[in-house]
Amino acid sequence: MADHIVCTVEELPEGARKIVEAEGFLIGVFNCGGELLAIEDRCSHDDGPLAEGELDCAAGTVECPRHGSIFDLRTGRPKTLPAFAPVETFPVRVEDGQIKLEVD
Amino acid sequence: MNPPPETAALDPKQAEREAIKDINQDYKTKFGFNDPETGYVYKAPKGLSRKLVEDISEYKGEPQWMREFRLKALEHFLARPVPQWGADLNQIDFDDIHYFVRASERAETSWDDVPEDIKNTFDKLGIPEAERDFLAGVGAQYESEVVYHQVRKDLEEQGVHFVDMDTGLREHEDIVREHFASLIPANDNMLAALNSAVWSGGSFVYVPPGVEVEMPLQAYFRINTENMGQFERTLIIADEGSAVHYIEGCTAPVYSTDSLHSAVVELIAKPGARIRYTTVQNWSQNVYNLVTKRARAEADATVEWVDCNLGSKITMKYPSVYLMGERAHGEILSIAFAGNGQHQDAGGKIIHAAPKTSSSIFSKSISKDGGRSTYRGLLEVAKGASEARSKVVCDALLLDPESRSDTYPTIRIDENDANVGHEASVSKIGEEQLYYLQSHGLDEEEASKLIVNGFIEPVVKELPMEYAVELNRLIELQMEGSIG
Repeated sequence: MADHIVCTVEELPEGARKIVEAEGFLIGVFNCGGELLAIEDRCSHDDGPLAEGELDCAAGTVECPRHGSIFDLRTGRPKTLPAFAPVETFPVRVEDGQIKLEVD
Repeated sequence: MNPPPETAALDPKQAEREAIKDINQDYKTKFGFNDPETGYVYKAPKGLSRKLVEDISEYKGEPQWMREFRLKALEHFLARPVPQWGADLNQIDFDDIHYFVRASERAETSWDDVPEDIKNTFDKLGIPEAERDFLAGVGAQYESEVVYHQVRKDLEEQGVHFVDMDTGLREHEDIVREHFASLIPANDNMLAALNSAVWSGGSFVYVPPGVEVEMPLQAYFRINTENMGQFERTLIIADEGSAVHYIEGCTAPVYSTDSLHSAVVELIAKPGARIRYTTVQNWSQNVYNLVTKRARAEADATVEWVDCNLGSKITMKYPSVYLMGERAHGEILSIAFAGNGQHQDAGGKIIHAAPKTSSSIFSKSISKDGGRSTYRGLLEVAKGASEARSKVVCDALLLDPESRSDTYPTIRIDENDANVGHEASVSKIGEEQLYYLQSHGLDEEEASKLIVNGFIEPVVKELPMEYAVELNRLIELQMEGSIG
């Protein structure tokens, strides 16, 4: 298990996102109303990018830009078809003013 | 259909041929009329805009979340290019279509209350007779609004909801909100985005746990206005252990300019439930029929699509079943008939996403007079879907050298104990078969009809009898003049 530094706290304000690479994963890190969430940057429907899709902070979801599947950022599970398989989520925390990602 | 008196003296074969000839000639009279466009309450100008979508939502008195859903869908639609991978859609002029028309003020509950000219239309199409004889409930859609809707008392007492989609949203908002667009998001594809923005009408069905609806639920759709677009939205939810059969049959009058029909249908079968959805599509040959149909079957549930495509200029439709729970079962039975100037681009998709699931796809297509039929299918066994069993059969019949048939099957398997069978055939009517039948007294045309009927029989036998009869008549109509 390794910690990956994403960025400083100031660099990820509310509603913002960053996409980083760690341990072979592409990961989208989001600041949802102060809560930090990280999900694999992959839609399980077509294995294309997910994290650049529309973010809904109130619901804690991101929508795949290609076919509209909505993924729960906390569980990694799709709430709508056409995706049905879940993707990975990762613990995120703040330490010494930095946002850190735990990736296996 | 009774033959006119003067043919009664002819031998039965001759009389039957006369009767069928009458069907052909009557098509324009029986189905090819359109009522004068007087008395319409609201008809949107042509073209699509944010304001139009807002007007539709306001006119229907929809909740805010639906209005936002529509507006976002419109953005997706405008951002998407026309798909190039299927049939040729480049002739569609999206600015030259009326996207919303309302024919009367409110949904009616008895045929006596329905406005006279609208009643005449459906009387001609034989709907009241069917309703009296056989059906549990009928929803009749004229233009964009459901004109008439009647649910039989026993259904209501069982807690079964069968209403038009607008009413469903109004009276059962919680159930609708939970499931609406859960299978087909607004951005799933370009036509789903369009439907999501301007949808109107369609059916909402909810069957409570354990209830088996014995009679099929039916809805009729019709496009009347020149350049009218039809965007019905249907959502069917069969709760645990329930069962329902839904039938849609379509007709449309003959026009010289194009009509667009882009529907979205979502079926949700909860654990142990069964849904069968039957379609007999007979749009006139100027209609673009571009439909997204998707079903979700939970554990021990079954979904069956029975899909018959006879009409339209171009149809693109691939009903799908996602097998999401253990022992779920999906079936797709499909007939496509492509005559002169038609392209039927159909097929089906089954996704095994849970263990011990099973499925079958049975596709029969016929091409004649230069028509083109295409089968596009997907059979997917996802990781974790152990012990999957599936059989796909796609057969194409080419009736002459001018016609065309294409097959694009895809099989994706991510488990190594899957049992998947795939058979495909392309054939023409065999000389020997014809000769054999002719030697028994049938002429070439009758023999061909018989062979074609036999070819499609595995699917036709799954239709309720009166549909099977109508379908056989329609096929005979299409076969008319194919010889010589």
